[in-house]
Amino acid sequence: MSGLLRLLARYRRATILTTALVLSFLLMTLQVRHESAVVTLTRQTLLFLASPFIQITAVSLQGVADIWHDYVDLRGLREENKRLQREAATLKGRLDHLEEQALETQRLERLLGMRQASQAEFLTARVVGKDATNWFKTILLDRGSLEGVRRNQPALAPDGLVGRVVEVTPTSARVQLLTDPVSAVGGLIQRTRVTGIVSGNLGAGTRVRYLPLMANVVVGDEVVTSGMGGVFPKGIPIGRITAVERRSGALFQEATLQPAVDMSRLEEVLILTASETRPGPEASGSLESGTGRRP
Amino acid sequence: MTWLLPALLGCAMAQAVLLPSLSLGGIRPDLFLLLVFLVSRRCTPEVATLLGLLIGLWQDGLSGGPLGLRAFSGSLMGFLAARLSHHLYTDQPLALFWLLLGGSAISGGITFALLTFFLGPRPVLPALLWLIAPEALYTAAVGLLIFWLPPFRAALAGPA
Repeated sequence: MSGLLRLLARYRRATILTTALVLSFLLMTLQVRHESAVVTLTRQTLLFLASPFIQITAVSLQGVADIWHDYVDLRGLREENKRLQREAATLKGRLDHLEEQALETQRLERLLGMRQASQAEFLTARVVGKDATNWFKTILLDRGSLEGVRRNQPALAPDGLVGRVVEVTPTSARVQLLTDPVSAVGGLIQRTRVTGIVSGNLGAGTRVRYLPLMANVVVGDEVVTSGMGGVFPKGIPIGRITAVERRSGALFQEATLQPAVDMSRLEEVLILTASETRPGPEASGSLESGTGRRP
Repeated sequence: MTWLLPALLGCAMAQAVLLPSLSLGGIRPDLFLLLVFLVSRRCTPEVATLLGLLIGLWQDGLSGGPLGLRAFSGSLMGFLAARLSHHLYTDQPLALFWLLLGGSAISGGITFALLTFFLGPRPVLPALLWLIAPEALYTAAVGLLIFWLPPFRAALAGPA
């Protein structure tokens, strides 16, 4: 035993490196086949520790941005005419503020309209942070399990599908965007009712895979959720086909998709917390049979 | 090591909230990797390996990826950077830029290899062109700016 310890101490540099690498590798292995309780708990603890700071930073940043915009407005106008321009700056500042409020109201009204058009229960959440790496596409929301957010609940925007909740703490939730390389959403070409799998890709945009080779898919086709898999209700707009690839010898054709929602500009999302949904008129062709059910 | 906790929180807040508005084509510099490089210059390889593991785990916890992904590359990069810093460290901006670029590219390559191993094959060329290379360039450029600030410059130049 002491001989082993002496050996480890002698090669402690290599021992520590090997231990660190094996530990990391083991952690990843635990997550590949099934959810490990240890890993889930660790992730939730880390997120729980960091999310208050991220939320405070997001709110503070918004406050600083408002002050900065007011300052820039005032300073720019003062150069032209001190008194009149100061008044104009004040008015402009107010106008900006009102416009911002109007835009926010508009967004919330659209969300509300979407909420009213459906029989489902929604929860509005604010986006407070994004993924800590460039490799994955997730967002952090300011609502958590205390307000009814659960894993696998779909996240929507007025224009369509955003993704699904993958991690929840009492006060925050992480949503995996449909552009994430690990995401997979059952999609349906609205015009021809052909199904495929919509998934993100590392640096290669969002793709629709496993489309039958002979299926009629053309640029401009709208894609909505197929409702298969039980996570996403049927008929939620996902995006529009921008290119179709048919490789010789391939069993399936693939298509590139432009998501309906601009993921880089998300400020609020709706979390579908319960029951069936009948999303907006864009997806009306597929709504009659919509029987989405949460897992 | 009292600075580590504020540094980890600062990186988390910057990476999640501040940097998305400065992203170029959706790519942000990897501040966690820069932190690994910084601590590696000041520590022994053993400590740098453990700190790289810790920083990577923290980053994984704030990301949608599997836990351990960045921890693996973080501990390896920490070890390599600490082991080689005597030989490779320079205060020449261009040389420092190339070092950071190389380190970031290697870290990206390791991450890509692990993702391919655990989650299935991914197209190499798009990942290299649109993710690994831009991230390495942006990280190296931002790293050069940060490390050129007097406090960080002093920290980097100090005894390894």
